[in-house]
Order: sequence, then structure tokens, then C-alpha cells
Amino acid sequence: MTAPTNDQLANLLSRCALADQRAFAALYEASSAKLFAVAVRITRRRDWAEEVLQESFVKIWHHAGNYDADKSAPMTWMTAIVRNRALDWLRRPREVQTSEDVEAFMASVPDEGPGPEELATLAVQARELWQCMEQLGPDQQRSITLAFFHGLSHGELAKKLDKPLGTVKTWVRRGLERLKQCLEGMKAK
Amino acid sequence: MKYENPTIRDRLAAEYVLGTMTWRARRRLEAQLKTSPALRAAVSQWEALLSPMASAAAPLTPPRRVWQKIQQRIHGDAKARARTGWWYSLGFWRTATGFALAAVVALGLVVTIPDRLPTAEKTMMVVVMDDMQTKSPAMTVSWEPGGSSSKMLRLRVIGHAEMAPDTAWELWMLPGENRPPVSLGLITTHELQTLQVPAQLVPTIDDAWGLGMTVEPAGGSPSGSPTDQMLYMGQCVKT
Repeated sequence: MTAPTNDQLANLLSRCALADQRAFAALYEASSAKLFAVAVRITRRRDWAEEVLQESFVKIWHHAGNYDADKSAPMTWMTAIVRNRALDWLRRPREVQTSEDVEAFMASVPDEGPGPEELATLAVQARELWQCMEQLGPDQQRSITLAFFHGLSHGELAKKLDKPLGTVKTWVRRGLERLKQCLEGMKAK
Repeated sequence: MKYENPTIRDRLAAEYVLGTMTWRARRRLEAQLKTSPALRAAVSQWEALLSPMASAAAPLTPPRRVWQKIQQRIHGDAKARARTGWWYSLGFWRTATGFALAAVVALGLVVTIPDRLPTAEKTMMVVVMDDMQTKSPAMTVSWEPGGSSSKMLRLRVIGHAEMAPDTAWELWMLPGENRPPVSLGLITTHELQTLQVPAQLVPTIDDAWGLGMTVEPAGGSPSGSPTDQMLYMGQCVKT
């Protein structure tokens, strides 16, 4: 199966905005496996990821009319919806959260971001991003990948990396600043 | 406001997109997103910068049931919309003295016209919440009773409600018998929305006396109890 183009996805979204059920089914067919992988990666539980994906597609259906092809690529827009749902799901206030729950959650966090095989599948755009990631210090890089791929909060990062919260926040902040400079530099070339 | 400083704004947008913020900080930022085009632009920019990284995940086909549930939700919403529009046009609400009575009357009609409403035979929990100041219906909430795993509330905000800056709307389960309200989570002013019932409330919500809504500081009540009187409130009716 070849990956759908941005134009194809944008077209499906615009038809969803007109309540075209078939377009919605095609959109789901074309994007759900990518988006489910994003949700699983962040929530680390299949059942949660299913809930997140379900809510995200309901939102995509209802808000397809808000999608603006001039402002973002369709997958960027949909990925942001899924990531935000997944992060909200992880961070939602829970009345009963024992220290054992927290331990179990932390234990399920892998030590690193994606491996070389997964990185090899990246699109060109992502390779640029990755080149910039590699220019970061190792601590900055690790904090940013753990946060992005596995949805760790500042506090969870500090715990995972066994460093003070302030240190981790600085790594993240400086890392993001450098990343942006590097990417903007590449675009300017 | 700290969001007016471009450096800080950009940093907060980056952290929001990266995902390191707490739930509360996320809610605060989202409240600002509604009113600040500059913040929206910063968030979009970071989404575009970081989103290619999200593609570094092997695709994973979700189970079939996810699509089925999405279909149910969407069709369910369409029916709820048709039904609410119809109730509303009956003009019962403004003259009815008691909302519970009005709900029963309206739902009685629903049952007698099953052809128009294919889901009418399904038992539903319905709450018509009145604005306590104007005494007119302001919001309806419905859900399917029973079931033990997850539960979704369907919400419909009637009219064009507006939320003051730096505030949040919080929905409460009112268990009755003088037991204190329990938070169901924050809601928006969107006309149609759904809310996942927190897992620990799934077993008890069908037996609640009613639901209420309060206006809380951004991010929700800091104490876990309402900080103000119920603005909207209504009693649960099983139909």
C-alpha cells in the first residue's frame, strides 16, 4: 500500500466536513494505523490507546471543518489531536492513584526513544529533524525523545533520569531552543 | 500576562506540544489558546516542527471494535442532535415549572413515536440541567445506564454560553443523600461534546441523584470540591 498523499488526505478531510461518511471511512483506513501507533507509544496500554483513538476520530469528524490546509499538513493536524488526547488521558486527574500505580507506569517507560530501524522509516522531513536532534547534548536529546515519544511530564522525566526537576526542565528548554534554531537554519538554506 | 512575552510564549508552546506539562498547565494554556492568536501560531509552528518525529513509529492496525465504536458515537450524536432539536422546538421548556416533569412529558412523547426515533426503546439516563439563575434549561446530559467498563456522557450546551477568561466549567456528580459532589471533569462551552466518566465513578453514576456544574478557576477546583454554588443543576431521570 502506498502512503496517501497530503492532497488526498486534505481532500478526505474537506469531504468529512460535509458529513461524507465514506470519506471518513477512507480517512480512517488511510491514517488509523499510524495514529494508533502514536497513541500506543504515549499511553503504553492498548486499551487506553483504543479509547484515545476513538475519541480522536470522533473529534476529527466533528472538527474536520476547522482543518486549514494552508496552515498544516493533514497528518500533522490529526497527529496533534491524537497526541493531545493521549497526553490528556495520561495526565487526567485520577482520584485513586497509588504509589504502586506510579511505579508500574514508570517501569513501563523504555529507556530510549525509537531505535535505528524505526528511524530508517522516517520521511525526509523527519530526517532533518533527526539530524538536528543529533546535534543536541546527550541529556537534552534523551529528555526530548523520552518526553515526545512516551509522554513523560517534567516530573516523570526527573524521576526516570534521576536528576533534579530544575536540571531536567533546563535540558528540555535548551534542547528545544537549539532544535528550533537548527531546523530554521536548515529551512533557510 | 506571561503569554504576552514572545520568548516565554514560545517556550510554553514548545512544552505543550512536546507534552511535558502537567494536566493543569495544559488546561491553562488551552484556555489562553482561545484568545491568543499569537499563542495559537506558536503551537502550530511547534506541531509542524515536531510532528515528523511522530512518524517514527511502525504502523499498528487498531482492532475492528475501535471503528465500530466510532461509528456508534457518531450516529449516536446525530440522533441525539435530532432529538434535542425536536424537544427544544416544542417550546415546553420555558413554561414548564419543573424540568424533571418536562423531561418526563417530552420523553413520554418520544416513546409514543418510535418510528421517528429508532433508539427510543433503549433505556437512557437523561439530565436536563437548569440555569439556577434564569431557571431555564441550559444543558442536557445523557448516557446509557449499565455496563461496567467505560462510560461516555453526551453533553449538549443550549444556547451560546461563554466562559469567562481564566475560569473552567466543572461537571459534578451529585450522589444525593447529603453526600458531597464528586468531580466528573472539566467541560467546554461547545454545543455538543462527550465526556468520559472517570473509571471509579462508572459503577455509581447511574444511581446519582443528579448532576451540577460550577465555574471554577482555570484548571478546575484546586480542592476537589466545588468552590462555588452550582450554576447549572438537574436531576437524573431514567427513561
